[in-house]
Amino acid sequence: MTTVRSLRLGEAVLGGGVLALGVFIAVETARLEVAPSHTTIGPRLFPSLIAGGLIVIGLLVLREAFFGHVAHERGRFELDWLAVGLVSAGLVAQMLLLETLGWIPASTLLFVAAARAFGSRRLLLDMVIGLALTGAAFVVFNAGLGLTLPTGTAIERLLPGGGDDSGE
Amino acid sequence: METLAALAHGFAVALTPMNLLWSALGVTVGTAIGVLPGIGPALTVALLLPITYDLDPTAAFIMFGGIYYGAMYGGSTTAILLNTPGESGSIVTAIDGHEMARQGRGAQALAIAAIGSFVAGTIATLALTFVAPALVKLALLFGPAEYFALMVLALTTVTAVLGDSLVRGLASLFFGLALGLVGIDLQTGQARFTLGIPELLDGIDTVVVAVGLFAIGETLYNAARFRFETEEIYALEGSIWMSREDWARSWKPWLRGTLLGFPIGALPAGGSEIPTFLSYLVEKRLAKKPEEFGKGAIEAVAGPEAANNASVAGTLAPLLSLGLPTSATAAIMLAAFQQYGLQPGPLLFDSNPELVWGMIASLYIGNLLLLILNLPMAGVWVKLLAIPRPWLYGGILVFATLGAYTLNNNVVDLVILWLIGVLGFAMRVLDVPIAPCVVGLILGPLAEQQFRRALAISQGDPSVFLTHPLSLTLLIVAALLVAGPVILRRRARRAEREAAAA
Repeated sequence: MTTVRSLRLGEAVLGGGVLALGVFIAVETARLEVAPSHTTIGPRLFPSLIAGGLIVIGLLVLREAFFGHVAHERGRFELDWLAVGLVSAGLVAQMLLLETLGWIPASTLLFVAAARAFGSRRLLLDMVIGLALTGAAFVVFNAGLGLTLPTGTAIERLLPGGGDDSGE
Repeated sequence: METLAALAHGFAVALTPMNLLWSALGVTVGTAIGVLPGIGPALTVALLLPITYDLDPTAAFIMFGGIYYGAMYGGSTTAILLNTPGESGSIVTAIDGHEMARQGRGAQALAIAAIGSFVAGTIATLALTFVAPALVKLALLFGPAEYFALMVLALTTVTAVLGDSLVRGLASLFFGLALGLVGIDLQTGQARFTLGIPELLDGIDTVVVAVGLFAIGETLYNAARFRFETEEIYALEGSIWMSREDWARSWKPWLRGTLLGFPIGALPAGGSEIPTFLSYLVEKRLAKKPEEFGKGAIEAVAGPEAANNASVAGTLAPLLSLGLPTSATAAIMLAAFQQYGLQPGPLLFDSNPELVWGMIASLYIGNLLLLILNLPMAGVWVKLLAIPRPWLYGGILVFATLGAYTLNNNVVDLVILWLIGVLGFAMRVLDVPIAPCVVGLILGPLAEQQFRRALAISQGDPSVFLTHPLSLTLLIVAALLVAGPVILRRRARRAEREAAAA
């Protein structure tokens, strides 16, 4: 029973999300200020069609969620939320720290968090491999391919591509 | 004859040392990402877009073509030895291929897959060589109304055919279309759905969406499922040489697989999954010993593997000649054309023959390189499977964020990447297919452009789409594709109810 209920819940979340997106686009489209000469085939028509489509689809999914038979009874709802949270937190930490700490420390943090989420227990080894990987990427992409991955205060300056020649 | 001359010129382009190197690099990278679970050709091409920005477009497309072909070869290795399809096109191969590996015939299964891929790839590339110019002639008859109708058809087929729930496919498609709306409206300069964020004026980058859905979303999903799934890798066992009987049982499935794969890839019907499933069913129907299917039947590896390679060449035909992507990877390649300011279609064949024909010629070469890479060197690729999952997925995340950040050197792209990744995770959990979203994102703005152009020409009269015979036909086919399965299912359900009542 619980799996069917969680399936219905998932279905309801999907339908609600699609419906909400449709309503949002419809409202935003109505609020668009459009020059009068463009009223027939202006920038509003296509978004209106998409909003309409989203609303209809959202309602269809919701109807299936509450009244229909559940189409997807494969029950993939056994999920390790802790691992998802770890990967997600790694990504957030990287985007917050990237431009202050620099590419290598921020991305190593992401690497270690992801490795932990996939069951690795060897923190130190993960760190060494993360440092090597992000360091190699920094050298190849900044010095070799002319991209500008962010240089932080410590590590990157010691590597080719991280010095003053990158425009700092 | 014209075509052969053009192809000869293409070979002259593709055989220059630098381009040979790009082709070799492409097929090698392609095989590697095909072997590795968690990354596919769409993601790889998306990640390479920022890096190839300064590269000559011909070289870049020679490499992309190699990656697309290579991924289909590599995908079979993972399917056979690990029972986790590396690509969606190898799902069917995994059924009997893995069974063969379990019986110690893994090497033979790999050989059947590799040679079959080569046979199919070569025939299908030959077909592409002649079909593409023919499609170009057809494209010359197209006006904006026809292009719009064709795009509607492509969008509906990608949606209706993939996944087993039409509503879910449509939800994914419309989500992609909605993402495509963000940014400045090209015709009027009006900003739409930017929420006042200046970084969104240029729209949401295709690369960010593709990488978010395919890399971040997939990784989150795999992290969530990692504890609950076990992998068993089978060592490469058995003779790599196929016996006389193996050949006898393989060659017909190869040809039939090719015959299914190329046209279905080319008719906007959504990539490589369908032809592989069809090929499996056909082979089972025709087999002398259908009871072997599911227990390591050679035909069940040979047919689908040929079909998925042929479908790749098929996908390239409408992409090059009409600018119409029919798979997620083709959609990303269309984004690559846009990055270079090129518009695939009849004009491209006129203005950039060395790109088009160089790429097609390089596919013949790449296919040969892939046979060499995958037959004697299969053991090397198997080693890739031994990379511990924590480091593999850690690495995927590092390179995914690298690709997204370097697009504009802006953290905002990383925030969008994360948001889209979380949405992609939710889609995976809720069983919503991802390809319609990517194709919708890229085709949506193009469809809107053609839609408004057609209406501008007809001075606002919406009947243009119905009065042009070509456009009408395409729209009817699209409507049938959406309505047909629904009506059939209704009818089946009613019949069931009547049977139950009786």
